[in-house]
Amino acid sequence: MTDAAVPPPSPTLEEDSEVELRRLLLPDPNLLILSPPPSAVDSNYVHYFIADFLKPGHDQYIYRHANGLCVIGLAPTHASLSEGGVTSVDFNVGKSDRSEIKVTGKRKKNAQLLEPNSALCKVYASDNIYIARCCIKGSLLEVNNRLIKEPGLLNSSPNIGISKFRRVNVQHKGDWRLCELEFLISIRALSSVLISNLS
Amino acid sequence: MGEECMLEKQLVEESIRQSGLPCHALRDLLSIGVCPRCIFRLFGVHGDVYSCLSLSSSLLWSVLDLSNGHEEATDCKVHEGSSSPQDLKVGPEFCVVCWGILQLSYDEQAQQTFDLVASTAQLVKGEGFEIDSFSLEVSVPPIILGNERSVWLYMKKRYGSESRFQDKFFSGSISVKDALRFSITKSLEEMLAVKVAVRSFHIRFTYTHSDASSKISLVQGSRTDGHKKQKRGDKELLEGIDASDLEINKESFGLDIAEQDRIFQVPPAKVNQPCKVTTLCYRTPVYVGGRYLKYSRNVSQTRWIIDEERMGETSVEEIIGNLTLSILKADSYKFHAAGREDIDVRMLGSGRPFLVEIANARSLSSHTEFAELQEKINNLEPRIVRVKNLKEVGVDAWTILQQGEAEKQKQYAALVWISRSLEDEDLKCMSSIKEMDIIQRTPIRVLHRRSPLERKRMIHWMRAERIHGSKQFFILHLCTQAGTYIKEFVHGDLGRTHPNLGSILGCRAEILQLDVTDVKMDCFNS
Repeated sequence: MTDAAVPPPSPTLEEDSEVELRRLLLPDPNLLILSPPPSAVDSNYVHYFIADFLKPGHDQYIYRHANGLCVIGLAPTHASLSEGGVTSVDFNVGKSDRSEIKVTGKRKKNAQLLEPNSALCKVYASDNIYIARCCIKGSLLEVNNRLIKEPGLLNSSPNIGISKFRRVNVQHKGDWRLCELEFLISIRALSSVLISNLS
Repeated sequence: MGEECMLEKQLVEESIRQSGLPCHALRDLLSIGVCPRCIFRLFGVHGDVYSCLSLSSSLLWSVLDLSNGHEEATDCKVHEGSSSPQDLKVGPEFCVVCWGILQLSYDEQAQQTFDLVASTAQLVKGEGFEIDSFSLEVSVPPIILGNERSVWLYMKKRYGSESRFQDKFFSGSISVKDALRFSITKSLEEMLAVKVAVRSFHIRFTYTHSDASSKISLVQGSRTDGHKKQKRGDKELLEGIDASDLEINKESFGLDIAEQDRIFQVPPAKVNQPCKVTTLCYRTPVYVGGRYLKYSRNVSQTRWIIDEERMGETSVEEIIGNLTLSILKADSYKFHAAGREDIDVRMLGSGRPFLVEIANARSLSSHTEFAELQEKINNLEPRIVRVKNLKEVGVDAWTILQQGEAEKQKQYAALVWISRSLEDEDLKCMSSIKEMDIIQRTPIRVLHRRSPLERKRMIHWMRAERIHGSKQFFILHLCTQAGTYIKEFVHGDLGRTHPNLGSILGCRAEILQLDVTDVKMDCFNS
């Protein structure tokens, strides 16, 4: 949502309420300029990216909401998203099936506390298996179980997200691994340039 | 002066007749320390005798002496400790039944005659209450019932054969509370210049006594079912039991006769101090209702403060509440509304029903011009809030507000952008949607404080309105079930609301602005 650049016209008390309503609903032309406008995901979350988490090519993102909840997902530069894309997603990561969690209540009972290195799910793309990780320490509230039936969503909707987390402590500022998307794209571009030069 | 004396004497004589007690029984009661008002009330006497200011044990003695034919010339006002040969009959200073409550006399701290009526009138004026009536509430230590029972047992022992006044004791006896009301109502009405009526203004007298609590612990110790009550403190028990709740016909306090005899002396024991009284006056809550409109996108509905920092410029609650508070000269307010909207969402159209509960208003609500208050609120600069149909409502208003909330439909207007051009088919598609079910998982933006649930909601209808000169922006009018998250319906909340506008149109959709245009409820419409 965007703030109105110009304050709305002052309502006058004598106006008929129907007329007043129509007048108030006229959109501020300033809002119609920006197309596309910032999306809900852009405005409400701070975007962090991690390159090569534990393994090269494993780029992920963390979208942090103002209320402390984080959405973890595969960055657009993740290796699985090239060459045809993701074909299957499996939340069964050995110890437990992450899609089986049932978190209830305001206090989020049964939310599993996980470490940055904990596995979230297995992502299958062509012949390779990638493991998506938590990247942060926090309690897992929810996974995107639509990905089980529609793994293709990871290819088409970059922001679809894999899971939602509640952060345990808020110390991301000092984390040198976190970066912005532009930086991520640029270093990816750089590395592919380097590789081509070597060969 | 002489005439007053005569009237009072006549009243006393009439009351003696009404009580049905023989003179020797009356003298007996006086000598064990029961005050005249208690004597009269326990034996079912009604009348103006209670409000006689000079009604005291000495007066009763003198009337009894006279009526018995003793020709001693006694002055109308017989003072305590007068040189009457019946000096010993004057008895203990404080009534052994009511512990001074009905003697309206002694304030230990001030060491002087305490005028309950005068001090109450002063309190009312001092607090600045504008009143058109008053009603009295009295709270007394329940142990007084035990004292009454002791008197009854004493009478039974001494006059067992004369059963007529036993009947009176049970069927006709008047409670301490009622007797107190009889005693002071007329004087208070005079001093406050209004009549007694159970309306909004209440005066509460709370009587306490230190001996009462020690007796209560004795009672608690003896109770067979006392183990539950013992967990509560003495104070709670005192407050919980109302003297009028316990019927004197049943075994008092759930004890049998032997136990009662052990705890309550017969005749009742004397006390060194009277009850202390605390006077409190208050007004019952005033309810002011209406509908509000919110024109600002930076004002929350209720006060919103995080970590000592305020979010938003101000709140609807404060704008309406503060002005209402000052016009009614009240202590505090509570704001209730039928649902709420986000800080960046305007409330337009018919407005949202709300209720302000005003505590302890000093001004009379019936003397308040609510139309004027409405004008004042609406004329505040900057124009953030507008109020309609402001008026006083009844206590049931809160329930009406609550009931309507979950059932009713709400109408909105949203400024929407989609990732491709808006086609005519899209307009048709959206208009054709009627009563569509959607499933919304708890939006991420509130997930930190709400349960993770899947909520089924309904979109009743939708209508898209093109914006002149724009291909991808349009205004979406929609009507939904109460409790639907509109923003999440438009942008999909990372796929957690399904179906959403984007999935319906087959593209990406974003919401830029939202306004509530109608809250369809049957209240505060005029």
